[in-house]
Amino acid sequence: MIAKERLVKIVGKHVSDDPAVLEEYSRDISFVHPIKPTYVVYPASMAEVKEIVKLANETQTPLVPVSSGPPHFRGDTVPGTGGAIIVNMSRMKKIINVDRPRRVAMVEPGVTFGELVAAATREGIRLNMPLLPRKTKTVVGSLLEREPVVMPKYQWDISDPVACLEVVFGNGEDFRTGQAAGPGTVEEQWAVGGVQKAPYGPGTASWHRLIQGSQGTIGIVTWASMRCELLPSLEEPFFVGGSELAPILDLTAWLIRLRMVNECFILNNVALAAICAQKWPKDYASLKQSLPPWVLFYNVAGYEYFPEERVKSYIKDITAINQRLGLDAVQALSTVSAIDFLRMVQKPCDDPYWKLRYKGAFEDVLFLTINDKIESQIAAMQEVATRAGYPTTDMGIYIQPIVQGTGLHCEFNLFYDPDDPVEKNCVKALADAAVKELLARGAFFSRPYGDNAALILNRDAATVNMLKRLKNIFDPKYIMNPGKVCF
Amino acid sequence: MGLEQYQGDMNMCCRCSCCKFIPMQKVMGPQFSYACPSIAKYNFHAYSGGGRLNIASAMLKNGFNYTDKLLHVVYNCQLCGACQVSCNYAMDMEVLEPITEFRFKCVEDGKTSPALDKAVARLRKTGSMLEASGRRGDWAKDLNLKDATKEKVDILYHAGCLSSYDKDAQKLAKTTAQVLQKAGVNFGILGDAEMCCGSRAYQMGYRDDFLKQAEKYMALIRKTGARTLVTGCADGYHAFKVLYDKFNFKKDLEVLHTSELFARLIKEGKLKPRRKVNLAVTYHDPCRLGRLGEPYIHWQGKKIPGDKFVFDPPKPYRRGTNGVYYPPRDVIKSLPGIKFTEMTRIMEYSWCCGAGGGVNESNPEFSIWAAKERVREAIATGAEAIVSTCPWCEQNFSTAIKEMNSSLKVYDIVELVARAI
Amino acid sequence: MAILSRDVYKEFEDVVGPENITDDPALMPSYFNTEHAAIVLPGSTKEVQALVKLCNKHKLRFRAICTGWTGMFPRGIVLFDLRRMNRIIEINEKNMYAVVEPYVISAELQAECMKRGLNFCIKGAGSNCTALLRGHGHMDQTTSGDDRNHLAIEWVTPEGEIVRTGSLGSSDEWFCGDGPGPSLRAILTSAVPPGVTPGVFTKAAIKLYHWPGPTKFPVVGHSPRYTLSHIPPNMMARYYSFPSVEKMWQAEIRIGEAEIAYELMGFNAAMVAANITTCNEEDEAMFKRLSREVQGPGFFIIIAGNSADDFAYKKKVLENIVAEAGGKSLKTVEDPEIEGILLCQCIRISASIRETFRPGGAFNSIPIMGQRDLTIKWAIGAGEAKKPLIEKGLIVDDGGAFFGWGVEHGHLGKTEIFCKYDPSNTEAKKAVEQWQKEQTARAFKERYFALTMGDQTEIGPALSNYHIWWQKTVKAIDPNSVTTESGPLV
Ligand code: SF4
Ligand code: SF4
Repeated sequence: MIAKERLVKIVGKHVSDDPAVLEEYSRDISFVHPIKPTYVVYPASMAEVKEIVKLANETQTPLVPVSSGPPHFRGDTVPGTGGAIIVNMSRMKKIINVDRPRRVAMVEPGVTFGELVAAATREGIRLNMPLLPRKTKTVVGSLLEREPVVMPKYQWDISDPVACLEVVFGNGEDFRTGQAAGPGTVEEQWAVGGVQKAPYGPGTASWHRLIQGSQGTIGIVTWASMRCELLPSLEEPFFVGGSELAPILDLTAWLIRLRMVNECFILNNVALAAICAQKWPKDYASLKQSLPPWVLFYNVAGYEYFPEERVKSYIKDITAINQRLGLDAVQALSTVSAIDFLRMVQKPCDDPYWKLRYKGAFEDVLFLTINDKIESQIAAMQEVATRAGYPTTDMGIYIQPIVQGTGLHCEFNLFYDPDDPVEKNCVKALADAAVKELLARGAFFSRPYGDNAALILNRDAATVNMLKRLKNIFDPKYIMNPGKVCF
Repeated sequence: MGLEQYQGDMNMCCRCSCCKFIPMQKVMGPQFSYACPSIAKYNFHAYSGGGRLNIASAMLKNGFNYTDKLLHVVYNCQLCGACQVSCNYAMDMEVLEPITEFRFKCVEDGKTSPALDKAVARLRKTGSMLEASGRRGDWAKDLNLKDATKEKVDILYHAGCLSSYDKDAQKLAKTTAQVLQKAGVNFGILGDAEMCCGSRAYQMGYRDDFLKQAEKYMALIRKTGARTLVTGCADGYHAFKVLYDKFNFKKDLEVLHTSELFARLIKEGKLKPRRKVNLAVTYHDPCRLGRLGEPYIHWQGKKIPGDKFVFDPPKPYRRGTNGVYYPPRDVIKSLPGIKFTEMTRIMEYSWCCGAGGGVNESNPEFSIWAAKERVREAIATGAEAIVSTCPWCEQNFSTAIKEMNSSLKVYDIVELVARAI
Repeated sequence: MAILSRDVYKEFEDVVGPENITDDPALMPSYFNTEHAAIVLPGSTKEVQALVKLCNKHKLRFRAICTGWTGMFPRGIVLFDLRRMNRIIEINEKNMYAVVEPYVISAELQAECMKRGLNFCIKGAGSNCTALLRGHGHMDQTTSGDDRNHLAIEWVTPEGEIVRTGSLGSSDEWFCGDGPGPSLRAILTSAVPPGVTPGVFTKAAIKLYHWPGPTKFPVVGHSPRYTLSHIPPNMMARYYSFPSVEKMWQAEIRIGEAEIAYELMGFNAAMVAANITTCNEEDEAMFKRLSREVQGPGFFIIIAGNSADDFAYKKKVLENIVAEAGGKSLKTVEDPEIEGILLCQCIRISASIRETFRPGGAFNSIPIMGQRDLTIKWAIGAGEAKKPLIEKGLIVDDGGAFFGWGVEHGHLGKTEIFCKYDPSNTEAKKAVEQWQKEQTARAFKERYFALTMGDQTEIGPALSNYHIWWQKTVKAIDPNSVTTESGPLV
């Protein structure tokens, strides 16, 4: 174990071995086995991060990078082995740059969505956000997890909206990806009018792709830049409800293909009610009752030039598609108005986080899939849930089209009472069974979290073999978050 | 002269591979996108138009290194000219000329194909490309046609080797003569005196044999006093109209393909297709009537020094723009009851029937392979029959169809016209 | 002299069959004038795999090509010509991707896509090149470019393992190339082609995009003057010139932000002239004419509406933006015949053959991807630096022009600048090389960008030492060093 002084030498007083703090980092809301870290350090700069990583290499000490505040849900920030140090990035909170003309922003890892959304709005731009991140969620944390974003139209590549990253690799060397790599420092680039926007390179590789999705196993990111979109000058959001998913998926595919909508995703009545209910539990139950089983939400927007005309022409075209599919777009469903909902999803979630409101805990089963398969996968999930004794009427479903319509993120929210061991065990067993069943039905678990990661990665030995070779280059001593993904 | 004169053109090849395909805006999918039978079948880049230029250019520089594989490349090319058209959509350079010159060079150097040697030996001996059984004019025996060597005629009909000697193809000559009779055309034939035009010897690489043949034949033609020569053979058409012009034999002889003459006669009301020909057909452009059938333009000039490949006066390239595409189509479309559909590869970017370049003699399997590819394309249009305007095409398609057990029919355009009048 | 012993040759021959292998020196000139150990024509992933394993066994280096337009090849390698791997495996309309083998050319895939109202990024190398190519093209505004269009990839590694990335390896679906966990697309940005990642891409899925145009263009006429019988509905092509680069950029960025351009290509007049003419002589005359017509730098733009209203809206916005920037439409391009030719050239051909190779001279180019306003700033200087060469008559007079375009509605971009010259003029060649050296050095020194093609020991350290990471990566995936290092291929 590293002596505390050595860490103090790097970060001063910003190191903790307070048992209560360590306890807090030893577990999260997921079913991952708790392991206590030995310290939590709070570096304030890339230089300090580098020192920490070097020290960890010398002493073969596992490092677990964390940027978001609690509660954590996926087990990726719980140490996979004993003796780990949590590297808490929350002190690195600078919004480094927000550039309207180049539509780009750059932040340190401790910056939350709430903070960046406010800063970006002031400049007239916005982020392509995940759906209602919790208040404490950091932007960088979300970007690195490849979380789906709510405006698939602007997600050209699954790595979007990431632009460039600064990272300290597991071997202690620092690196900047994409345009940020050089020539020159970031400041020197700014001086000639450069920003850190182009994601590819340097060279042939697209290094950011290796860092995203790695759950902190490759290195520690010390800032990230991201592409931003313009703030619309006019927005008209709609709901389309229905009892059948197929026509709604069809409509969604066309809306995205024709790039007519910004925010666009599908929720089932459970998830929508959980997000929108004001008074618990009364409102929730009645809202859930009154909503159609499936709800598509989309937002038609106009920008600088003749926004009314643009919105009008899109709505006309969309109405034609709706009519063909026998669907109806409305501005309110039950007590939920589309415009209120839009304002809600353009910001992080108010406390408490919506997935915690119903029962205090949840487990997500999330994967990627395609239009051709999703319905049978949902049916299979419902079957597995029924078999496990979990009421399907309690299961939230969120379908987020990704990458301009080339795929779908599908997420089942299994709410449970953490203090009820029966319920908790039921959900754990259900989640495990669901992963197995869904894998068999072609679900792609691109973000393998927790205990099921091994099951998921076992299906693709060739990829794992190749990933391990890369891991050996960037983190040869395996100090970065060991036990996660396939490392 | 010879290959050397094309060194500049060959150096221009940027290896873009366009010559493998039909012009890009005509590509309608992965099916029927290839223009060159040779690369489509043999796959090595060497078999493409560009590959041939790369090799010829390198050998000019480094010496000729003949290997079996190289000769396989050289002789497995229909000299169909599709590469020239596709290349010349964007490039200003000769493609087919150097390919042809390379073959001449092989023959000059004694690097020949035995099968082609045999065919040319036959030509030298019998004056025909085909094994002669009987006399050349036998096909016309009962038709009571004018003998152009004895009577003055407006139009001289050249039947060609295949239509003269081949039992199946003779019907084309006969039918043509009958149609012309019905239209009241003042025409004659040369009968036993008719000669081989030399075109196929040229394609096979035997330029001197061609030149000899052309000189002899042209003297005879001139003696008849006919101002116009008509032929139903695309190879012959190309020889008389293009090659004889290129080598200064043609002078002011008007050369027409039967389809051109028919189109003219129909337009003038001298041929009246009245009877219904209930048939769904598609049309195959023979290379030497279509893209290679465009008029020859004599040009002399020189490259303007500088960074551009420009000439003074501007050099006319044979890009296939002015081939004979519409007369056969006009004739077909004038036939009552015909349902006409085009294939994917037509006109200047038509796919070769496989018989050209002597390939039907040197490598019948490849020749028929190419024909089968065309038959498949014809079938894909939903047609019951593929119509062509050259006996060599017809012969190749017939063989292909038989081997494929297909029910597709093959007709020469004259057969359909005869049915309609 | 054969490089391979007959026994080894036989082993390769057993994989592909005697008709699909050669080491005949007479055929080598058609493969870049290099003496290759053998040329092989694999027909399947399995065959590629077997060939790669043989290369490892015999410590032979290999490289694969598609149509093989360009490339540098060391002597003695086994060259895989992927000509026989030319199938479209799948076009998934609803999920907007296509899966192809390496020798499917873009023209083939595009034609199939258009039948379904879809399109994809046709790279600037042309629709005569493989659809799998990584790169930029005319339609980048709407179809993106660079490394951003690949989804799942089937990759035969330099050791002969088959890696199927993303959803393909886990669930046999092609829609995603990333994960589980970190994405192998990080390193799989360009195996064959264009050939920088060691190994061979044997199949890949690429993103498709909506195509608002006709299922096929109404092409009429004969080569080389193909025209359109009519301009397809809700579609328009124009060329606008502007009083200054700044004004042009202003219009370009606003067009990007308004999301109205189907294509925006910052061609200079010389490139427009080359594209719409059928031979060099005509090109020269047209260039003179267009040079008189333009008022300054400009771009070519296509707008296409999903409906009549959408088209009318886009057209109105375009006209506003152009007017605000003082832009002027080129009358020549308003002629529907020329407009049609350009629509076809830019959407279906996309090849630069007429503008680059037809003239017959050489050209040296500096291409830069990334932040468009920054690279324009640099390119103005690089264009100025061309002027003395033009005055001395060493290079073609194009007014010092450069070209470029926005990508993803202006989020990213590409800028490029050429010097065309007579390769036999050694003075010109030297001057152009000097210009190229100076201008890339200036870009590097002044922190605009760095071209990664130059001396790695100088460039690498200025770019986060990426070269060292890349060398380590190559070593890790190609431990026997059976792949060759060389530049990209198309
Ligand atoms: S011959 Fe013409 S089309 Fe063929 S590769 Fe050469 S330049 Fe391209
Ligand atoms: S002439 Fe025909 S067969 Fe010969 S290379 Fe050209 S296209 Fe191919």
